This record gives sequence, structure tokens and C-alpha cells, in this order.
Amino acid sequence: MARRLASHDALRGPAVEIRVADTSVRAFSDESVAAAAVASGTRILGRSLKYHRPRTYFCLEGHCSGCLVRLGGVPNVRACLAPCEPGLEVAGQNAFPSAEIDLLGAVDFVFARGMDHHTLMTSSSILNKLTNKIVRQLSGLGKLPAHRPDHGPPEVESREVDVCVIGAGPAGLAAATACARAGRSTLLVDDQLRPGGSLRADPRTGRAVADARLDAVDAAGAEVLARSTAIGFFPEDGGGVLAVAAPARLYRVHAKAWIWATGGYPVNLPIADNDRPGVIAARAVGRLLVEHGILAGDKIALVEVPEVAADIDALAAALTAAGAEVTRVPLARALGVRGRGWASGLDTRDGRVDCDLVAVAALPAPASEGARQQACEVQLDAAGGGYRIVVDPDGRTTTPNVWACGDVTGYMGPARAAQDGDRIAANLCGEVR
Amino acid sequence: MPGKIVLCRCEDMTLADLEHSVARGYTDIEEVKRYTGFGTGPCQGKECLAVVGLQLARLTGQPPSAIPPFTSRPPLAPTPLRLLARAPDAHRFPDDPPDDE
Repeated sequence: MARRLASHDALRGPAVEIRVADTSVRAFSDESVAAAAVASGTRILGRSLKYHRPRTYFCLEGHCSGCLVRLGGVPNVRACLAPCEPGLEVAGQNAFPSAEIDLLGAVDFVFARGMDHHTLMTSSSILNKLTNKIVRQLSGLGKLPAHRPDHGPPEVESREVDVCVIGAGPAGLAAATACARAGRSTLLVDDQLRPGGSLRADPRTGRAVADARLDAVDAAGAEVLARSTAIGFFPEDGGGVLAVAAPARLYRVHAKAWIWATGGYPVNLPIADNDRPGVIAARAVGRLLVEHGILAGDKIALVEVPEVAADIDALAAALTAAGAEVTRVPLARALGVRGRGWASGLDTRDGRVDCDLVAVAALPAPASEGARQQACEVQLDAAGGGYRIVVDPDGRTTTPNVWACGDVTGYMGPARAAQDGDRIAANLCGEVR
Repeated sequence: MPGKIVLCRCEDMTLADLEHSVARGYTDIEEVKRYTGFGTGPCQGKECLAVVGLQLARLTGQPPSAIPPFTSRPPLAPTPLRLLARAPDAHRFPDDPPDDE
């Protein structure tokens, strides 16, 4: 079972109460709704689109679709990016009658060997029409909001800067600090509740280091937009504008130079039933521990690829120190996840590992889709974790005035990413005046 | 019974679906996307694009570098439409008639 660690209590914000599936849950104001749900033992938040398999948190950093919930009457909100506000109502979605007990989950058993929706019920046109009607009722994500939103219309603001840095993890924080210190007007855009990226999920750094580096960005004079997501680059608009969405605001950003420091996304590993609730990204387990003082499980099976061993050494040690029993399993030895409602074991070539959480540690997949909209070349590279941005030795992408640093150029880990951010920013400032 | 190996959780796309797609001759990543629906859910490929690309390289015997990504389009993350509705000129084309207001 997940539990809050007493050793973290002094760091928590004020206590608040939120309601999850009509049950009152104790939370803290500096937590995400997802973190509070984890700590309270809430396990299933929704159901998947096709097979109605149970869904819940996986990445805990706003990039997967696991924790979409209905929040205060609004559907499809990511619980991991929503702060806990007093009285907030959280409900599951895509399930009947509830996310925990979903009768439509029968689809998963009926189509245990998969469903080819191209040929499903196409033998007769009457059957096909009927099937389409039923499928339209069942599919889709969430239901429309219960009422008109009571907040006012959003504002649109513009920013014109020398340098816009996207992503405030180790690489982006270092790059933005260096650019601002060199006298460039600098904007740092980050989509998380609190900027810091993987620093807030890594026991070697954690809250204190992330806060200190964020303070350094402020002290250097850069502007930081937190809870602000780069949602698209529009090249046809006045030399190119980056649209950045904040909760109640849209920013239109023009910059002389861009630095992509978006890092990588935690991804799953290809083992049987890898989508089961209770299979969580190792970085999310680290984030819960380091940022929120929540131990996500008592018996944790850690499935890992060899490239991230150094990161996982640190995580495993911290989880063990916090009281968990950790079993590390190389991906090559892992077969599949046991347990329907929640992971209860991991089958390996060497027998079953009993657990109440499976943490998966893959190479993070470079978050390069924004740079792709700026026509930067990317390349699929197994050692780089996915589609890494192609850069020259100085950090230039294939698009003029667009630079990249850190894991988005291929996995390098947090320490090297910070150095890379610093170095690439210096190169950029030497060139872009 | 062996369980499903899910590659795209948003759209419930499995490794078996990818193998089926390749067996039918849909081996280009854009074709695979259209045939299986992978990468078209709320995460827009953040979790699955690299995974599917690498599995596709393995299944087709191509080097990963020969497999381009599918096209990236805005919005990169789920965005309330009201944010865009307020952007000046966001819903206008250059040859639109001027506003009445």
C-alpha cells in the first residue's frame, strides 16, 4: 500500500480536503490531485477506450493519458497536473457504473486475443449498423462539462524575448540561467506544477536542489512560466510564434533563438499486461518519494533496462531506505504482470516476484515533437531512447536559431544534461546577438 | 493465456496489432498509425511513438534511423478550445471580411 512518510511531514503544505469518487480524502495543498489519490489508496481512475481495461496514473508528469479524470465537473483533466484545492471533486470517467467496477470491462475478456476493428461485425450491413451505434455510445473520452465554466474569458499575452527555453529540467534550468546571466532577455516555459523536471524525481537531487536552481534562474533575471505548456509552433505567424497554454492564459511567444530542453518522457516496457494499474514509471515512483514524501508500495518490483542502471541504483537505495522491499529485474528476464485490479506480482524467467507495485525504468523517449514543428531533424535511435533531436557538437539543430540540449538530444542523465544546458547556452550567446 | 502487450495505452494498441499491421503490408509508420490508431489519443504519441518505431524497426528489419516519426501537429497537449478562441486573429484568414464590431 502507498503511504505518506512521516519524515516528509515538515515539508508539506497546508492540509486540505478533496473528494475522490464521493469519498473525502486528506491531501496537501502542494500536492497534485494524482499524488493525493495515490496516497489515499485510490487505484483506478478510468477505463481505456477499446477494451475498457482499468487505467490509472503512470508517468505523473502530465504526458501519458493514465490519470485523466473529471475534475470539478470538467472532463479529461490530468490529475497529475492539477493542484489540490479545498473541496475539489474528482471522479473517474469512461466507465459504467464506476471506474472500479466497470461492466464494459467484459470487452477485454470477450476479445482476450485482440479485436480487429477493421473487420468487426462487417459480415452483414444490419449487424454493422447496429455495431456502429453501440460502439459510438461506448467510445469517446468523458462526458461534456456539467455546467458552463464560471471563470471569465482567458487572456492572451505576448512575449518578445532574445531566448525562449522550453522545459525546466536540469538542462533547461542551466540553459536559461546562463542565457539570462549573459544579458539575454530569457523566457523559460515549463508544463509542470513546479518546474524542476527530473530533479524532483531523483533522490540524488530532489526538492532542495530543484528549488535552488529555480532561484538561480530568477536571480539571473529570466522569466519563468510554470504550468505553461508549449502547445504548438506556427511558422507562418510573424516569423514564427510559439503558443503556450497556461491555466487561464494563452501566451504568444516570439524569440530570436530557441532552446529545446524538453528532456524525455517515461515510457512503458514491452512485457505482458504492462498496462495494468500498479505498473508505474520508475521516475513517477521517484517523484512520489522525493517530491511528495509518498512511498508508492511496500514490495516494489523494478523492471529496468541496463542503460539507466546508475539512475536506478539511486532510486532503489532511496526506496529501500524508506522501508520498501525492492527487487530489481532486468527487462530481459521479465515476462509479465500478474493481478487484474492492481499489480500483485511479476512473472520472470526465474520465477514469480510478489509485489504491490511494478516500477518500469525504460530509457526516456526524447520529447522532440515541438522541435519537429520547427522543422528540426530528428532520428530514431535505440540508445537515445527514441526520436532524438539531431544536433551538431555545439548544440545547433538543423533549423537556424534553434538549439537543443539535454536528454531531448539523446539520453544522457541529469548531471550531464545540466552541463550540456550550460554549454549550449554559452555557444548560443556567443553567436546570437 | 498470455496477456496483452500494450504499446499505446491511449488507444489500446498492442504488439499483436502492430504485427498484424505489418503482416498486412502496412509497414510505414504513418500507415501503421492510420491502421491501428496508435498515437492518436490524448498523449498524441508521447508514450508510444518511440516504442512503436523501435518495434517496427525490429519487425521490418530496417535500421531505426530509416523510420521517420509521424507528423507532429498542434496542439501538443490537450488544450481547452476557449484559450484559442480568444487569440487575436486565431480564427481569421487574411482574406476574411473585417469584423462587424
